[in-house]
Amino acid sequence: MIPETAGPVILFSLPLAAAITVFIRPRWSVPVTLGASGVLLAAAVWVVGVVLQQGAWRHDIGGWTAPLGIGWNVDGLSAALLLLTAAVGLAGAVFHASRPAPLATVRDPRFFWPLWLFLWGGLNALFLAADLFNVYVALELVSIASVGLIGLAGGSAQAAAWRYLLATLLGSTIYLFGVALLYGRYAALDLALLTDGVERDGVTAVAAALMTLGLLLKAAVFPLHFWLPAAHGRAPPAVSAVLSAVVIAAGYYLLVRLWFGPFAPLLGTGVATLLGLLGAAAVLWGGLLALLQRRLKMLIAYSTVSQFGYGLLVFPLAAAGAAHPAWTGAVTLVLAHGLAKAALFLAAGAIVLRHGIDRLEALGGDQRGATLAWVAFAIASASLVGLPPTGGFLGKWWLAQAALATGGYFWLAILMVGTGFTAAYLWRALQAAVRPGREAGIDPATLSAALGLAALSLALSAAALGLAAPVLGVLLDAGPGAPG
Amino acid sequence: MGVAGVIFDVLLALALTWLAWQATRAADLFHAVVSFIVFGLLMALAWVRLEAPDIALAEAAIGAGATGALLLSALDRLASRERRRRLLYEPGAAWGFWIPAGGALLGALTLAAWKLPAPGLGNEVRAALGVSGVEHPVTAVLLNFRALDTLLEIGVLLLAAITIWSLGRAPSPLIPAMPSPALPALGRLLFPVFVLVAAYLLWRGSHAPGGAFPAGAVLGAGAILMLLAGARPWIRSSERGPWRWILSLGLVMLLAAGIAGTLAGQAFFEYPPGTAGPLILLLEVAAGLSIALLLFALYLRGEPCEHGYRGKGR
Repeated sequence: MIPETAGPVILFSLPLAAAITVFIRPRWSVPVTLGASGVLLAAAVWVVGVVLQQGAWRHDIGGWTAPLGIGWNVDGLSAALLLLTAAVGLAGAVFHASRPAPLATVRDPRFFWPLWLFLWGGLNALFLAADLFNVYVALELVSIASVGLIGLAGGSAQAAAWRYLLATLLGSTIYLFGVALLYGRYAALDLALLTDGVERDGVTAVAAALMTLGLLLKAAVFPLHFWLPAAHGRAPPAVSAVLSAVVIAAGYYLLVRLWFGPFAPLLGTGVATLLGLLGAAAVLWGGLLALLQRRLKMLIAYSTVSQFGYGLLVFPLAAAGAAHPAWTGAVTLVLAHGLAKAALFLAAGAIVLRHGIDRLEALGGDQRGATLAWVAFAIASASLVGLPPTGGFLGKWWLAQAALATGGYFWLAILMVGTGFTAAYLWRALQAAVRPGREAGIDPATLSAALGLAALSLALSAAALGLAAPVLGVLLDAGPGAPG
Repeated sequence: MGVAGVIFDVLLALALTWLAWQATRAADLFHAVVSFIVFGLLMALAWVRLEAPDIALAEAAIGAGATGALLLSALDRLASRERRRRLLYEPGAAWGFWIPAGGALLGALTLAAWKLPAPGLGNEVRAALGVSGVEHPVTAVLLNFRALDTLLEIGVLLLAAITIWSLGRAPSPLIPAMPSPALPALGRLLFPVFVLVAAYLLWRGSHAPGGAFPAGAVLGAGAILMLLAGARPWIRSSERGPWRWILSLGLVMLLAAGIAGTLAGQAFFEYPPGTAGPLILLLEVAAGLSIALLLFALYLRGEPCEHGYRGKGR
């Protein structure tokens, strides 16, 4: 067996095989999922290691080369996101498996596990795919699994799941129109082939506009974020974690792939500034609304709208000439946000389980059983705000360097104001811990320590990402996507 | 193309537009659903005009048949006539946003597609057809050149069925009020024909339009017709029975075929030399069975009971 293909084959096949297994034999769900999660994390670490050692590589499925066949492309960006998916997937599975059974809000836990594994399989397929139509099918897997998982929380979550279904299907359809136009124009769906062949003409511009619009809807970029807070705020905790950390990042990942790949010739100052302004508006609007929330999970959900705004600052900064630091900084921020945000949602899940309510003013008082979760919350907050030496600091540092190098003081100001908002709303959440509370909630002894530990491990990873700066720099430079 | 062809195509396009408008804008939901079904049938005709008979078959069976039946039975469950009136009819949002936005999208697409060179990959597909194991180019694309897409698509179908099951139990009774006493007898008479057509399409797939998707769609639509004709659904959600296996069979076989390539030291999904033909036929049978059963499972609108349909169950 060729050693480098084994990693992607495991990452693609194992989640789907495990999903089928737990669908056919529900009573094996927890051991099968946890076992598969461990193997998937190891495979993702291995893939990252191979990219670090020998750089990016491509695998032609079925031995057919593009344009006829489909390829997998493994480079620094995709390897990093595969690893993020595996880390969040494992922690989320541990969290969900450790919840006290009678309190579980999931109505029918038998279907949680197949949906969870299908979501994981769809995300891995998406990050591996080098083909625009294959990406579309993977997006469908991700969307439908997400809808099912949100709806499992029942009640008002089902209405949120329905809105999410409509929004995300609309996004997929608009994306698919663009793919069809590109195929009609160039007879190719492969990202590398398109990158070499694309010309600046009307058809390509319409395709770029449609695909970008569809993906902006999926990535919940302001003002297309309307569906996100309810969906992410009402889903079960593990689901909120993976949705905010990875599913939104998948939409952003494709935007970056396209605009630094096939559509790079179209990325003029006008388009780049427009995308940057959308990002700036998202940072401010999401931050303001997060500050106004009265429920813990809704606060974290609005924070996702705000944080992905930073990601869009990569376009104006790259168009101004600082492509390399802006790109590395934005991707680092997305990775750090993924780890920290998943930690926040899992910690919030444990805290809400302890107190039985998620209104901020009711979370004080006796914190036995939720101490680890609050520690994780604090560490993840430090990374999200961007305190050194966390991953959030590293990403913001690189972005700020890009802004300073190109004289983009407006974007620098957005970065600073957004950081202020982030600090303010997270401080509000942390303050709730030390308030005198009501004597209610459940017996702390019924809460497993694994709940807090799952959140803590992700929070510590977000913090440690900042110390891995040299490795991360090398990793993200590997591949055709990285601007040289 | 003759003048008659042009006139036919223009009339078809106008009818499709009018039916789409009726399906989305009719105030009466029954009217809207019937427009949608007719739209699906005419759409199948449009695919025939575009010389894509594979898609035409799937469109007729799924777009008009299965989806139409699903919409009609959903309508049947909206209790009163009052609720059948379109409650979501919001002229403000429609004229203020959706119709202008949809019009702009349509305009941009039309402008972009007007002078599209559309080179396609026909030559590449024909050149590689000799070693693909089948003679029909569509089957070669679906189960060899782009088999990874097909794997994920079957995954989407299975995932959709699981998602619908996760929403709750199948409603009972499933069968809408029967307007005609002749329907049950007719349905029973027709079912063997559906099975025969599906088997024929499956076999044909290797050298002519057909294959797993149309065959599965026809078989699934036939099963739904049986249900409408009063048959009791035989599928169970129990872990012990074979149903969960058959639902997953297509995805299992495609995954196994993919991994087998890697284990044999070749690329993922690379068939060993000389075995592509029989392997593709095997995959088509497995995928066709799963597609038929999955379409049927989607139609049940919920998880079937563990121990038989109207049994005491949970």
